[in-house]
This record gives sequence, structure tokens and C-alpha cells, in this order.
Amino acid sequence: MKKFFARSFDQIAPIVDATDHFFKERNIDPSLRTSVDLCIEELFVNMVNYNTETQREILLEMEPVNGGIEVSLTDYDVERFDPTTPRDINIDAPLTERTQGGLGVYLVLKMVDSIHYEYHDRQSKITFQIKRGKI
Amino acid sequence: MFSIDFNDLGQVAMTGRLDAAQAATAQAFLDQVSGECILNLAELEYMSSAGLGVLLKTHKRLMSGSSGLKLVNVNSHINDIFRYSGFDKLFDISLLQK
Repeated sequence: MKKFFARSFDQIAPIVDATDHFFKERNIDPSLRTSVDLCIEELFVNMVNYNTETQREILLEMEPVNGGIEVSLTDYDVERFDPTTPRDINIDAPLTERTQGGLGVYLVLKMVDSIHYEYHDRQSKITFQIKRGKI
Repeated sequence: MFSIDFNDLGQVAMTGRLDAAQAATAQAFLDQVSGECILNLAELEYMSSAGLGVLLKTHKRLMSGSSGLKLVNVNSHINDIFRYSGFDKLFDISLLQK
């Protein structure tokens, strides 16, 4: 599956619909679904929020892999921004010290079995695989 | 599809998917709540970090007035997200009984 989505949070629902269709069409294990939805949303939102210098649409690709699914998101005409570096978030901190910042990518890194970042020709591409549902 | 409103028990009930597109709607509603607030998540299917941010901001505001958010009927998917993010240590959580 290859599909482009505009840089808007309004596209999250169509992305969920496209994911749902792909899971059914390709008979992907439904227990992976919530983890996949979460990772796609967090990475898509990250691109929309931080790569603000472009209006280009974001490409979402999905492929079945042995025992799971591989998903890629590609952002065009943007600066390098690698969200896959592990974030230092203290999940044991008291309420007064907790913030939302960084939590999305932190959760992505907990959900995926592998994740890879590529940057070339001003294209920023993140690819992850999930073979076991964590949530 | 997402909705938030008071239920017959006076609890705040969320339904559907609380994602980045819906976080502002949820935050606007919860900003009007005061005192002890019970959030019933029985019909909430999904929550991303945007939803976690809404809960965190609301809980902090209510806790500053010595009350807070209590989360009831939390499904296993959302409870897993709470555990991964450490929110299970910040909130009073009751799981959805099957």
C-alpha cells in the first residue's frame, strides 16, 4: 500500500481507515493493530508539527513481512530530523515534573521491533516493523 | 469518531478514539471541569500521546486544587499505554470488567 496524506491532523481518520483496509485485505494479525495505529499517528504528527517548512504530502507505505508488518513514512523537502534516537524520559517522575514532550516517540520506540531512519535528497524516511503487539 | 460528555452518573464519559485530531476538543471540555472528576473510559477505544497530554494537563490543574482525575473502566489497550508511559503511577485507575 502506498498512499499520500496532506499535512493535517484531519488526515488521522483517513489514515486509520487505510490501515484498517490494509489489515483486512492482507490478513495481518489484528493483535498488531493498536501498536501500528499508535506508531503511525505519533510519527505522522511529529512530521506535521516539526517539518513546517514544506507543504508536500506525506507518503505512507505498508507491506506485510514475515510474522508482521513493515510501515514507512516519508516526508519530502524537509531538513534532517531523526526521531528514532532513544529519548530520556523519566516515567517515574512525580506529577509536577511530568510533561507530554517526547512521550509520543518514547512510546513508538517501546512498540516497534525495529526502526530505521534514512535521509537523502531532503527526503526524511522512517521505517519500522512490528511483529508482536505490545498493547 | 470521538465524543465527550457527562453521563447519567455525573461522570465525564469519552467514546471513540482520542487522537491528536481530537485532543483540543477533549481539552476544551475538561478545562470547564472543577473538583473531583471521574473519567469513564468504558467506550474509549484508543488513546495516543496527545490524549495523555490532555489527561496530564487536566490532572495537574485539578490536583493544584486538591482534587484530581480518577480514571474508571479503562480497557486493556489504554491501560497498557498508561503503564508504558508511567501514568499508572500518577492516576487512580480502575480497569474495565469483562
